[in-house]
Amino acid sequence: MIANVLDGIVFGIQLGLWAAGLTLVYGLGGVLNLAHGQIAVISAVALAFGMDAGLPVLPAAGLALLVGGVVGLFLDLTILRPVYRLQGEARVLLSLLLTLGVAFIVDGFLNWRYPGRSLSLFIGGGAIEILGVPMRRGSLLASAITLVAFAALFSFFRFTALGRAVRSVIEDEEGARLVGIDPARMLRLILVLSGVLAALVAVTRSMVVSVDVQAGFGITVLALIVTVVGGLGSVSGALLAGIILGIVNVIAADVIGTFMSLVILLLAAAVTILMRPSGLLGVEE
Amino acid sequence: MLEVTGLAAGYEGNDVVEDVSFHVDPGEAVMIIGSNGAGKTTLFRSVVGLLAPSSGEVRYEGAGITGVPAQRIVRLGISFVPAERRLFPRMTVQENLALGAYPGRPDPGTTELVMDLFPRLAERRRQRAGTMSGGEQQMLAVGRALMADPRLIVLDEPTTGLAPKLAAEAYEALSALRDRGLTVLVAEQQVPLAMAFSDRGYVLENGRIRTQGTSAELADDPDVRRAYLGIT
Repeated sequence: MIANVLDGIVFGIQLGLWAAGLTLVYGLGGVLNLAHGQIAVISAVALAFGMDAGLPVLPAAGLALLVGGVVGLFLDLTILRPVYRLQGEARVLLSLLLTLGVAFIVDGFLNWRYPGRSLSLFIGGGAIEILGVPMRRGSLLASAITLVAFAALFSFFRFTALGRAVRSVIEDEEGARLVGIDPARMLRLILVLSGVLAALVAVTRSMVVSVDVQAGFGITVLALIVTVVGGLGSVSGALLAGIILGIVNVIAADVIGTFMSLVILLLAAAVTILMRPSGLLGVEE
Repeated sequence: MLEVTGLAAGYEGNDVVEDVSFHVDPGEAVMIIGSNGAGKTTLFRSVVGLLAPSSGEVRYEGAGITGVPAQRIVRLGISFVPAERRLFPRMTVQENLALGAYPGRPDPGTTELVMDLFPRLAERRRQRAGTMSGGEQQMLAVGRALMADPRLIVLDEPTTGLAPKLAAEAYEALSALRDRGLTVLVAEQQVPLAMAFSDRGYVLENGRIRTQGTSAELADDPDVRRAYLGIT
């Protein structure tokens, strides 16, 4: 049981970080990026190629983060242009359709060119015992990196003027404009950041399990569920919901079976929406 | 300082205000009065860049600023305080004020001025804006606008939702700011307060300027007295 909980936390904080990028982009600009998982996969592929080309692991990981950020920027500059002309529901719907299209294209291309390709980073050394449970070094390193990333994210939003500016757009876009903040520039920044975060999780995830080229939609769906449960626009909500759902997922897979765990996660999301429409820590409208 | 000529603006092709011209000179306090739905908010939104005018011109300190977006207008020295205040409810008073100075750091002198003007804000620095009373939120909205160190402050119905005593206090604060050389443009339904405060005014009716004059002239105008001052 303790082992399940610990494995759930390892998985959950990674889910939380994936969801953080998704929830920020949505909270900030009403854009639902269904290609989020594909950004992670493209970054993982970049890391695999970097290492094949003889790069040491750290520069290759740096390359992966760069690729993630560039893909985020690319989406902002191209496919999302028409989306920005719309408001409200139409904006959400068009962003959903267009990014879904991008996701299909990326998936199709990767499957055609690199079928069966996957990334796994092997972290050597023996297991370390935590609360009596032997944990693999890869899982622990991945968790440490993820938690540091969360801490950096929280500090950015709390202590920097730029981070406050991003939050202000989430709280009241018109109010933000009145103090001189350009919401479009903040959204571009956050799309780049969410791409970098997607890449970072792809890298750390590959220390725990292998990430294959078809993983994109699975990542997006999980991140979406976590986003809904945590509350749109809330990074702390994404972390909390990620941990809870990560634990639920591992226990469900262990007790009932992997085939049912996604159904149970969807149920958890549905129950959350019924009981708290704005999510665990979401902004009440 | 601010010169608006033949301005028309509205929503989805329907102009709410038409052919509106007015000006504000440096150091002046100017009011735009009118009843609910006269078009005061639409007019102000199109002046400060929240709404693109369909025709006409806005000039500020000699330069055309028609259609310039709000986030750039505030950098030019015009701060707008909307009637809905548009604060950041889950942020503290201090964070709201700091954002007023974005992208710079909050200037200590300006912060002190705001705290002197509204001591309540100093007491509530760490309180979230959304949990404060209407009067306190209005103070914070004005305080946040001042943090940008504007030369012209534009206020849309600053007394909305305030009890009479607080409404009077709001105008006392505006008078104090005026004495420090700030130029003020205010839209108001509570005409007696605005009239006592302003040098000049314009009466907006059905989206057009109906009459204008010094506050003393308007106070003597029989139509204005009947419609806005409740005197027959």
